Amino acid sequence: MVFLLVFGSVLQAVVPTGPAMGQVRLPVLLGLVIYYSLLKPRRTALYAALLAGILQDALSMIPLGFSSFCFILTAWIISSWREEVFTRHWLTHMLMGLAAAPANLLALYLLLTQARLLILPWAGLMLKLWGSVVTGVIFVPLVCRAAETLEVKLGMLEARES
Amino acid sequence: MLASILLVMLNLPTPVSRKVESSVREGISPLQQVFSGIGFRISEALIALRGLGGIVRENQELSAEMVRLQNETRLLRSLAAENADLRRQLGFAQRNISDYIPCEVIGRDVSGWWQTIRLGKGVSENVGENRAVISAEGLVGKTIDVSLHTADVLLISDPACKVSARISRTGAFGIVTGRGVSPRGRAVCRMEFINKNINVLPGDEVLTSGLGGVYPQGILIGYVEKVYQDSHGLYQYAEIEPKADLGMITYVFVESRGDPVDEFMRERLQEQGGYR
Repeated sequence: MVFLLVFGSVLQAVVPTGPAMGQVRLPVLLGLVIYYSLLKPRRTALYAALLAGILQDALSMIPLGFSSFCFILTAWIISSWREEVFTRHWLTHMLMGLAAAPANLLALYLLLTQARLLILPWAGLMLKLWGSVVTGVIFVPLVCRAAETLEVKLGMLEARES
Repeated sequence: MLASILLVMLNLPTPVSRKVESSVREGISPLQQVFSGIGFRISEALIALRGLGGIVRENQELSAEMVRLQNETRLLRSLAAENADLRRQLGFAQRNISDYIPCEVIGRDVSGWWQTIRLGKGVSENVGENRAVISAEGLVGKTIDVSLHTADVLLISDPACKVSARISRTGAFGIVTGRGVSPRGRAVCRMEFINKNINVLPGDEVLTSGLGGVYPQGILIGYVEKVYQDSHGLYQYAEIEPKADLGMITYVFVESRGDPVDEFMRERLQEQGGYR
């Protein structure tokens, strides 16, 4: 888990993003939080969310704890709902990405503006929201799939029934 | 248990939370360097493949440019000596000539909220806080957050970055503020508080004024794109296109003012695991 999260945070920091997406970063850490919330016990998911948040905050100018708070909230909500959904289906991951990415972005925006750390016009926020929806829908399923494949290969997760 | 960790994290005193963040950054920076290195090699290989036909011509052009620059440097050295001599005779204060530390860009802001880049050198390599960062083209930004082996740079395109500037043709002063990135991917800046009575034209060169103490005088920021007149106010403002390609930079230079970071401070930082 730690390896995956560290690897994910570096990937998120290094991969460039387009201005048409409001320069939102690829939601690699969020994808991993969603993955752990869907497939692991709640306790593990929450610790993964805490660690993912610490990594995101350490690699950016966000004050320590802001991202962890958002990720933990996301993990808590998803793990409460996971009995109701197909946890390993790509459509579930896509819908989770669609909902969680803009929700996280909005929550962080509110926290940062409340702390007077961010100057961002409404147009910029709208563009970022659009970018988070697109990247969430596309990349969260990919991240979940990659994490699942790795864990199956390492014997930490059972292979899917075909 | 988790809630208490989160509460403690959110209420940590700033120096402690910075120390925690610094330690995490220090731990991850080697991996970041490897990844950005791989990305850089791939993009270099692609550029080389694309421009294979033009390499000979480019080589000839660069050789000619090198000869021209060597001659110019020789001339400038003699002028600098003459200038220093005249300043001494007139009793003016001597100017400090800045050195620049070359640094590799190892990452960008992971959150996407700010226009920042991360460099692979920190206080151990004499990179300090609030130092000007330039590329071969022009001004890039300033260092804001320095740990032992990394430094965060606030780019001039960030709305929080303000640079005291002047237009080289007229000498008009103003403040250059970041305006983010346009949908075409170009960094956008705006020069504000320009005297309304001074004629500013598109294409005018904008340089750092040297006021404020962070940026040395005369560094190229960019060129005026459009000028806007404020009919009710005292000032006019201009859209500036930064010369440095802020989205693609891989190497930059950090100003070193010849005042090496205090050895005592460095030792203390090494003990603490970070410096902000």
